[in-house]
Amino acid sequence: MSALLAPEDPRASALARRDPVVKLALVLAVSLAVLLVLDPVTPAVLYLLALGGVLVGARVSPRALAVAHVPFVAFALGQLLVNALSRPGTVLAEPGPLRVTADGLEVGTALALRTLLVGVLAIGFVTSTSPVRLMTSLQQNAHLNPRVTYAVLAGYRMLQEMPREWDVLRAAHAVRAPLRRDGTPTRSPRVLLGTVFGLLVVSVRKGERMAQSLEQRGLGLAPRTTWRPSPLTRGDAVLSVLVLGVLGLVLRTSAAAGLLAGPGALS
Amino acid sequence: MSDDASVVLDGVTVRHHRRPAPLLRDVHLRVAPGEHVLVVGPSGSGKSTLLRVVSGVVPHTVSAELEGTATVAGVPTEEASVVERSRHVGVLAQDPASSVCLPVVEQEVALPLENRAVDAAAIDARVDAALAAVGAGHLRARRTAELSGGEVQRVALAATLAAEPAVLVLDEPTSMLDPAGVAAVRSALDVTLGGRTREDGEPAVLLVEHRLDDLAGDRGLAGLPARTVALSADGHVLADGPTDTVLHELATGLVAAGCWLPLEVELAALTGHRGGLRAPAVADALRAVMAAAPAPAGPPLGAPVLTARGLAVSARAQRPRRRWMRRARDEDARAAVDSALLRDVDLDVRAGEVVAVLGANGTGKSSLLMTLAGLRAPAAGEVRGPRPAMVFQDAEHQLVATSVRAEVAAGLPAGAATDGRVEAALVEHRLEHLADADPHRLSGGELRRLSVAAMLVHDRPCLLVDEPTLGLDRRAVADLVRALRRTAASGRGVVVVSHDLRTVAAVADRVVVLGQGGVVADGPLVDVLRDPGALRRGGLVLPALVRWLLAEGLDGGRVRTVLAALDAPVHTAAAVPA
Repeated sequence: MSALLAPEDPRASALARRDPVVKLALVLAVSLAVLLVLDPVTPAVLYLLALGGVLVGARVSPRALAVAHVPFVAFALGQLLVNALSRPGTVLAEPGPLRVTADGLEVGTALALRTLLVGVLAIGFVTSTSPVRLMTSLQQNAHLNPRVTYAVLAGYRMLQEMPREWDVLRAAHAVRAPLRRDGTPTRSPRVLLGTVFGLLVVSVRKGERMAQSLEQRGLGLAPRTTWRPSPLTRGDAVLSVLVLGVLGLVLRTSAAAGLLAGPGALS
Repeated sequence: MSDDASVVLDGVTVRHHRRPAPLLRDVHLRVAPGEHVLVVGPSGSGKSTLLRVVSGVVPHTVSAELEGTATVAGVPTEEASVVERSRHVGVLAQDPASSVCLPVVEQEVALPLENRAVDAAAIDARVDAALAAVGAGHLRARRTAELSGGEVQRVALAATLAAEPAVLVLDEPTSMLDPAGVAAVRSALDVTLGGRTREDGEPAVLLVEHRLDDLAGDRGLAGLPARTVALSADGHVLADGPTDTVLHELATGLVAAGCWLPLEVELAALTGHRGGLRAPAVADALRAVMAAAPAPAGPPLGAPVLTARGLAVSARAQRPRRRWMRRARDEDARAAVDSALLRDVDLDVRAGEVVAVLGANGTGKSSLLMTLAGLRAPAAGEVRGPRPAMVFQDAEHQLVATSVRAEVAAGLPAGAATDGRVEAALVEHRLEHLADADPHRLSGGELRRLSVAAMLVHDRPCLLVDEPTLGLDRRAVADLVRALRRTAASGRGVVVVSHDLRTVAAVADRVVVLGQGGVVADGPLVDVLRDPGALRRGGLVLPALVRWLLAEGLDGGRVRTVLAALDAPVHTAAAVPA
C-alpha cells in the first residue's frame, strides 16, 4: 500500500506538479464522457492511452500499477461475465447450462474496459497527489471550508495510523491467546471481535482528541493564510487541453470509423 | 494586555454530570504575563481540568459545568470558544499522538501559523525556528505516521510554540522524551523562542509535569517555575506561592498522596533537612538509610529464559508472504536487514534477573521487545526460549474483556477459572475491589496493575514490559517496581524498556543500552551507569540521586534498597484504604 501513497515532494513527477482540483476535474470529465460509450474499441484505446499517460506522467512503477489494478480487474471481470451470460442476442457458445451471446460479450467488454479506464485514471490521481495539496487546492480553487478539508486530513492521518494500531492490538491479544499445534496463536472470532471493538474504542477517543487539538491550534479562525498555495498554472491549462483534446479526437475518430456505439447498443 | 494578568480564574468550580463531587472547587488564580506556574497534586485532583478551563475545553467541548469566571487575555470564557481562545492560548495535550493531525511534520507545525494568518512568506522560518527550539529540526520533512512516541511529542510541542501564544498550557510535555528532548523543552521554556525576541513579551506558562527533576536539570528547584499551585485530592487549592515554600511545606502530605516531587523536596520530607544532596545533613541522613538498608539477598541467577543471537529488528511488522511472491523473498530479506533499526543484537535473559533496555527516542526499543516476544518476525537472526509474556506501553491496547476479572482470566486454559489463580492475582495486585468493574473505566495506575496481573497470571518464564511508567503517579510506579522485583524473585526473567532512569535503577539488575543501530553496552546496572562512554552513546543523562548513589560506591543491590526505602512513605500511604 505504502508504494501507492503520493509523495509529499511535489517535484516528484509531471502529474504531481499539476493542481489536484484540475486533475480531479479531468478524471471526472473523462469518466462522464465514456459513461455513454458502449463499444469495446473506444474505451480500449482510451485505456491504453491513459495507462501510458499514468506510467510516464505519474512515474508509477509497473509493479505497483499492476497491484493497484487488482480490484478494478476483479470488478471488470464480473461485469464481463454477467453481461456475456445474461444478455439476449446471437448465441456464440453454450458451455453446459450457460449461454454466451455476441451482444452480451461486446457490451460486457465495453463496460469492463470502461472500469479499467476509470481505475487507471483514479490510480494516476491518487499516486500523484499529496493529500495536503489536494485539500489546499480544494479550499482555494473549489472554495471548500478549511474546517472540512482539515477534518478530512485528520481523518486521513487516523487511517494511516490504523494499520499500526491494528497490529499493536492484534499483538497485544496474541500474547495471551492459547497456541495452536503449529505454535501460532489461535485467532478465535471472539478475539477478532475484541480487536475490532478495541480499534473502535481507540479510534473514537483519538478522533475526539484530534478534533480538540485542531480547535486549539486555531482551525476556524478568520482570516487565515495558506503557506503553500496551489495556484493554477499554464501547465494545468496544457494538461486540460491535452486530455480533453485526446478524448475528443478518439471519440471523433471512433465515430468516423463507425465503431462508436452509444446506449443504442443495449436495445 | 500590557499590565493586565494573562489568566484570571475567579471562584472556578467545575462539575461533571457523571460524578457527584466537583473536579475543581472554588479556585482563584491570577497569572501575570511571563509568569511560570507549576501545578501539582495527586492523581484525580483536577490538574488537567484546571488546564482545560484555561484553554476553554471546559466547558465548551467537555460537557462540564463551570461556575465562577475564567478570563484569558481579558476575555471571559463564556464569550470565547476554544477556537477563539487559541489566539492567545497554546496547548500541549497529555497524549501528543492524538494532537498531531497532519501527514507531514512541517505541515503540522505550519498549521497554527496559517490559522493565525501569519504572512505566508514568514512561515518557513518560523517552522524552522520552532522545530529547532525543541531539537527536532531533522524531523521537518518526515511523515508523522513514521515517528516514534518521543518524536511525536517534540513535534506537538513545536506546533504549540510556533504560534508564540500569550499563554502556554503544557500537560506533561516531557512524558515520552529522552534526556536530549527534556533538555530541549527546558531551554524552550527558558529562553525566547529560537533566539527571537517577542514583541508582546514572554508567554505565561501553566505546567503539569511528573518528571520534575529531569526538567529542572542541575539547577534543582531553581530550574522549575518560580510559582507553584498545589491542589488537594478533592480539587481545591491547598497552597499557592513560591515553589520552594509551597513544596517544602506540603512535602510529606504530597509524597504520601503519591505525587511526584523534586528530589530536594522529597529528601527534605524524608530527612527533615533542606538543600538536597549538596547539604551535608541530607547526605549524612541518606548514608544512615544506606547503612540501615539490608543487603539484598536474591536467589542466584538461573538458566537463560530468553536468548537472542544475531538479531536484526525491523521498524515495521513484516507481513507473511504469499507463495507466488516467494521469488522476491531473498531480495526483500536483504532489504529488511539493511533497513533494520537494530542489527547484531545478542541478548540473554536469565531467570531471576530484571534487565532494563535503554536508549534514545526512536532507537528501536519497543520494536526489539515486539521481536523478542515473537510478535514481529526478526529481519535476521533468531530468538530462542519458551514463549514470553509482554505488557504493552498503552495498557488500553491489551483489553479484551468487559470486566477486570474476565480480563485477568482471558486466554487462560480451561480449568484456570476454578483453580483460584485469577482470584489470587486480583488480590496480589490490589484489584479485588474492582473485579467486576469495566476495565475501560480504570485510572492509569489501576489499568497498569491490571495489565501486569493479566500477563503474570500466565506464568511464563519471561516477562517483557514496554515503557510501563508513562503518565503514572509515584504510587503507581512504586507498585510496579515492587511487582517486577517480586516477579524476578519468583524465578522469572524480566525485560523492561524505560527512559525513567530512577525507576530503572530501582528495578534493574542489568542494563542493555541501545544506540547507533545496535547494542552499545550490556552489563550490571552500576557498571554501565558508571561508564561515561555508554551513557554518551545511549544519549543517557543520570538523575542526580542515581549519580550520587553511584558516587557513594554502592553496588546495584544497595542502590535498589535505598531507592526502595525512599518509596516507603508512598507505600505506607497506599496501605491506608482510600
